[in-house]
Amino acid sequence: MSSLAWRDEDVRGFGMAVGGPGSVLRPTTAEQIAQAYADVAARGGTIALRGAGQSYGDAATSHNGHVLDLSRMNRILSFDPATGVAAVEPGVTVRDLWRHAISYGFWPRVVSGTMAVSMGGAAAMNIHGKNNFAAGSFGECIKSFDLLTPRGELVHCTRESDPELFHGAISGFGMLGCFTRLELETKRVHSGRLRIWGIVARDLEHNLQILEDLRGQADYLVSWLDLHGKGRALGRGLMHRGDLLKSGEDPEGVRFFDPILQDVPGKLFGAVPKGWLWPGMWCAVHLRQVALVNWLKFQAGAREERHSPYLQTHGAFHFLLDYVPRWHWMTKPGGLIQFQPFVPQAEGLRVLRTIIERCHAAGLVPYLGVLKRHRPDPFLMTHAVDGYSLAMDFAVSKNERRRQQLWQLCQQLAEIVLEAGGRFYYAKDAVLLQSSFARVHGEPAVTRFRALKQKWDPERLLQTDLSRRLGV
Amino acid sequence: MHSRSGTCIVVGASSGIGLAIARRLALAGRKVAMLARREAELRAMAASINDSLGRELAFAYPHDAAQLETAEPLFARIEAERGAVDELHFVAGVMPEVALDEFDLGKDRLQVQVNMLGCIAWGNAAAQRFLRQKAGCIVGVTSVAQDRGRIGRPVYNASKAGMDTYLEALRNRLWRHGVRVTTIRPGFVDTPMTVGLKLKGAISADAAAERILRARDRQRAIVYVPGKWRLIMFVIRNIPSFVFRRLSI
Repeated sequence: MSSLAWRDEDVRGFGMAVGGPGSVLRPTTAEQIAQAYADVAARGGTIALRGAGQSYGDAATSHNGHVLDLSRMNRILSFDPATGVAAVEPGVTVRDLWRHAISYGFWPRVVSGTMAVSMGGAAAMNIHGKNNFAAGSFGECIKSFDLLTPRGELVHCTRESDPELFHGAISGFGMLGCFTRLELETKRVHSGRLRIWGIVARDLEHNLQILEDLRGQADYLVSWLDLHGKGRALGRGLMHRGDLLKSGEDPEGVRFFDPILQDVPGKLFGAVPKGWLWPGMWCAVHLRQVALVNWLKFQAGAREERHSPYLQTHGAFHFLLDYVPRWHWMTKPGGLIQFQPFVPQAEGLRVLRTIIERCHAAGLVPYLGVLKRHRPDPFLMTHAVDGYSLAMDFAVSKNERRRQQLWQLCQQLAEIVLEAGGRFYYAKDAVLLQSSFARVHGEPAVTRFRALKQKWDPERLLQTDLSRRLGV
Repeated sequence: MHSRSGTCIVVGASSGIGLAIARRLALAGRKVAMLARREAELRAMAASINDSLGRELAFAYPHDAAQLETAEPLFARIEAERGAVDELHFVAGVMPEVALDEFDLGKDRLQVQVNMLGCIAWGNAAAQRFLRQKAGCIVGVTSVAQDRGRIGRPVYNASKAGMDTYLEALRNRLWRHGVRVTTIRPGFVDTPMTVGLKLKGAISADAAAERILRARDRQRAIVYVPGKWRLIMFVIRNIPSFVFRRLSI
């Protein structure tokens, strides 16, 4: 097919549990993307857009389809050192951006728990960070974008020029076109470090209470949950609060604008390379000792609380998922899925408690739980609600029956969430059914999104396993 | 020695080692005149330092080190605006990509102009003043590249060697008058200048700055950063030419 170098590869989500063979092209220019659109459309095929491939589920995979991997369009086109406004290509990662911005005393306004995600993917999924309750989602720091639509037009779009497309393409999981350039704001920081508190939360109720109490004061809030806790310890965990420092509060912090000092440490105790840790974690998962590991971690929380507050670099605080490289390999060979319900505040305690209890009853306890506070945002296919989200990581079995069991459990849990008016997040989801799509966003939003899809991509060139599963 | 209270000048302060030195000096409470060619970056860096400190100690002075004649008047201006200068760090340097069969006079001239003549212009301006006040300290950042002429970057080697020898002469002239001149020869440091090079075991710019300022405090003459490069370069310096010309290092 013409001059483009498509390669057959196994394309999987970050969780490795879903995905399949696809034909992959790694374009370096918008012209190549346009040519790929035309070539594939002429053959009647479909294209899935893929950034860094960090979505847990099937958001960036396409069984036997074509995949445009944008990771080689990774230039920071400009950065204004006075205002912190950056123009980037879609394959620029959070790592690239913060490493560039921090030396100027800026930090991205919204970052994910790993720095591997791409800007294009972050916009398409409208990702959030530990400050979602205060700063909103990633889309809110985007000033404008260039979108290459399946018909080959390059549309420059701002909030004002076309609000419908702006709020649909951001959060639209790559259904309306490919971002080729994004202009986004970063924020001034006065120190290379944050002030961190570790707070032990006895149970789920205590966790939610802390979230509500600190919501107005803290800049970042995230709670790690030990989901193996039962009875009175159900939903126990360790809350982390992070506050930005004001000008002059931490003069030493000026040194930490050096990107190398921000990076998460590469070795444990200064000796063990962290790249070697995942086999140990693999043993914990496969010998079913995760409960023990989590219990130890929870106990260690009390010590951290005694030593709070302390100062920590932005990088070390935000990018917990990068502490152990290739940590997701501990779930090999089956891989993992993440189930992350977003529940309205009023129903939070009841629904989350029910979910955790159901997991215990089914004997499928997530080895990791992360609780965050959210607020609504103006994007069309948003996952954000005025309430809480609980991210739960499940290891997936190679055994087909147990794999089905897990999917059924998640679908039952999804039912509870949807009944309570909750939502889901497509960067994570792998289990939602077609019937649920309209219930997540409400019928009017889905109708508007389908109209947008019809307008910009009438031939339905852009498809992923996710969009086919949801029946977009 | 000198009281360490005057203004410091850092030439090449918008990124890399120069920026890290400027930060550490400001952090220690010194007034720092930051000089660099890229004005927007320079002002942003000075602002971010002042911002974190909560007071104004870093001052941006846009300056192109290749403009040799402007060094002296700028030095005088900094003295007039920020008080007596007693410390100079010359960190500016350029290292263009040069192909193995390339002999581009334009690139070569720029390297000599910035790396060697720039250092001489600023060194001269500082030396005469420090000599008068019988105190002061000059730190010049050369490179391990100055120890041998190698196939990769002939003029980078030569310009750094010229700078190194100039600093040595300056040291010998001034030391007897209480002025300290320290030559820093960095090995692999992770900075914007070395982006794209595969440098194994590179240290951060901030770690390099820490070692450089320690060398200044200890009044050392020639310091390799990090220290292991003294040994590495000792070996490389002593490879006989009939062997060295066959190697690709």
